Amino acid sequence: MSNESSTGGQTVSSGPRSRFGWLFDPALLSVAGASVVVVFVGGMVQISHGSYSMSYVEAWYAMFNREVLFDPAAWQSFLFGTEMPEVSTESLVIWNIRLPRVIVAVFVGMNLAVSGAIFQAVTRNELASPFILGVSSGAGLAILLTLVVLSGVSLGLPLLVPALSLSAGGVLTAALTVAAVVGIPASWLYAVRSATRSAVVGAAGLTAAAVLGFGLLAVVGTGPLAFASISVVVSVSALLPLLAAVGGITAFLIVYAIAWKNGTSPVRLVLAGVIVSTIFTSLQTSLFFFADNVGVVQSAVAWTNGSLTGADWEQVRIVLPWSILAMGLAMAGARQLNVLLLGEQTARSLGVSVERVRFGLASVAVLAAAASIAVAGIVSFVGLIVPHLVRSLVGTDYKKLIVGCLFVGPALMVVADVGARLGMGLLTGSGVQVPVGIVTGLIGGPYFLYLMRRQENIGEI
Amino acid sequence: MTEETRERTASELTGEDLVLSYADEPVIDGETVTAEPGAVTALVGPNGSGKSTLLKGLADQLSPDEGTVLVDGEAVSEMGSKALAKRLGLLSQESTSPDGITVEQLVYHGRYPHRGFFETITETDREHVDRAIELAGCGHLRDRELGSLSGGQRQLAWIAMVLAQDTDVLLLDEPTTFLDLHHQLEVMEIIETLRSESEVTIVVVLHDIQQAARIADRIVALKDGEIRASGEPQAVITEELLANVFEVDARVERTERGPRIEPLRPRHDEADPPQADRPGGVELPTD
Repeated sequence: MSNESSTGGQTVSSGPRSRFGWLFDPALLSVAGASVVVVFVGGMVQISHGSYSMSYVEAWYAMFNREVLFDPAAWQSFLFGTEMPEVSTESLVIWNIRLPRVIVAVFVGMNLAVSGAIFQAVTRNELASPFILGVSSGAGLAILLTLVVLSGVSLGLPLLVPALSLSAGGVLTAALTVAAVVGIPASWLYAVRSATRSAVVGAAGLTAAAVLGFGLLAVVGTGPLAFASISVVVSVSALLPLLAAVGGITAFLIVYAIAWKNGTSPVRLVLAGVIVSTIFTSLQTSLFFFADNVGVVQSAVAWTNGSLTGADWEQVRIVLPWSILAMGLAMAGARQLNVLLLGEQTARSLGVSVERVRFGLASVAVLAAAASIAVAGIVSFVGLIVPHLVRSLVGTDYKKLIVGCLFVGPALMVVADVGARLGMGLLTGSGVQVPVGIVTGLIGGPYFLYLMRRQENIGEI
Repeated sequence: MTEETRERTASELTGEDLVLSYADEPVIDGETVTAEPGAVTALVGPNGSGKSTLLKGLADQLSPDEGTVLVDGEAVSEMGSKALAKRLGLLSQESTSPDGITVEQLVYHGRYPHRGFFETITETDREHVDRAIELAGCGHLRDRELGSLSGGQRQLAWIAMVLAQDTDVLLLDEPTTFLDLHHQLEVMEIIETLRSESEVTIVVVLHDIQQAARIADRIVALKDGEIRASGEPQAVITEELLANVFEVDARVERTERGPRIEPLRPRHDEADPPQADRPGGVELPTD
């Protein structure tokens, strides 16, 4: 025994040896490679089909058109919303209409998968999804409220930074999210520092901080006199993505406030999530009865089931920065997640501030979920199933798991969106698109069942 | 190597006038306990005596209502969580083992407090991990996944993780409970090695008073949240203490290797002090 252990220093078999050494894990590399292929093939199918018909070869050439690919002006138009330069019709159709939808699908899949992976560790619950702490119900309620109650209302909104050449919605999304990202952890640090401070007060403060952002907006909006000269009128429906995200984040904060009692625990968090979800879902469902017409109901169904119909570069611009931020933070937090999995007491004895880390990482996960809700509505199942799938392929190490989710999430989402956009056409010949969330449920459900039957220890985190 | 064997004099761990409570019910009500530098202090007592609570208080897992815990005169509540984790390690009873990671990966987690947010693993980390794995005698398990190990092997892996933390003070919460005899002795051997070969201050909660008598330099006996006796095993472990604290009749023999305890029968008499909360109750030897 001692002989073996004394040579242990020389073994290079496992263990983290250098900063990125763990990335060269054959399982992880093949998962990533296979996912890239799936995304590419799915994406090619997606951009080759549509009402403007072209062959795969034509689509290929239009896609890799040098005029677009290497034109800074084109990229400026995609990423900053400036004027698009003249290109061929095929390239225009593909680059302006079909490709952004694939890109949005990639980011949504990424966000949901990583968000789910984080929540499964934070709540130590194998059934956790991005929506376990009430995010989906809060977003759903906000969507219904917006569509049913506020649909006729217009707000005068101050255009604070018109020079940025972003749309009003983009600026507001940015401002609000920055406020939330900066404000919430700040107030949390304040609340956690003092052990004696009543937790409810702290959590209520957090909720207030989040709502304040929106409240301020409303106050400013309803007082157009002061800002009349620089304000634009925006219908509330145009703010739907933003409001959905804010609704989700608000629900999450309410859940945290309810669960907090001298600290939280995974069980308390999940229970509070169930309670808040139940109430919000009831309210949401009751609002359906006040819908004026079928159009509103269809729109609500599309949003609450998740849909990428009409996804555009505008959506890419909304989701891109938050995805980069959330994915970066998730990767940075992987080590904390790993230590958190050793049990709360052990994590604390290793010097982890458990409550702070738990809230911080949950916030990252909610940010990712909110970003995806803002562009695609509530897409179910991706966040639940992808982490399980990746875990069964690369193991429980969160560093690998998060990287795996970055690839597998997009693969599932792109394929599901191909089904959502083209599936009904194949089955019935009609051009109807179904919400992508319905397809992810249809693919995800049976696959999850298969995984469950095949592996005995499916729930093991 | 210079950082590896950094000059260290053993630290003293003191809990002063500690009041520790769960849900506003004080379990420990104003006790002072000191772990001498470089020595092994064993906390013993029947179930519910507060020994694990006291250990949690010393580990800063449970913040005291009153009193302070000091490492070399420095209050632990004033230290940052990582700074504390560099000086004080805890082998918890409530750890959960993620099945999918290897023993080596687990032991590397012990280096967590020594690494900055973006720092990678250094040569020092590697040396400490290798040393800890060797000390805990689990080199042959190094690349095995935790899920495939027996309870005893897993405990050795956890001990290696705490050792890799490289702390001045080590708190062990019932490290031998639930282990088979072989692994109980393995754990005892590790503690003995640590005592003789390194400058670590150890506080260990033990269920088995015979084990405590064997490895401890000092024994602290608790009952109903009060320290009833403390001192060297020879002085503390008496037939009278076993009757009062553990409610057993036992014969204690003085031998060269410390006191030898032969438990005879549980005590059922009413002559016990009135504060005995479960008169006539038979204590089962598990927690």
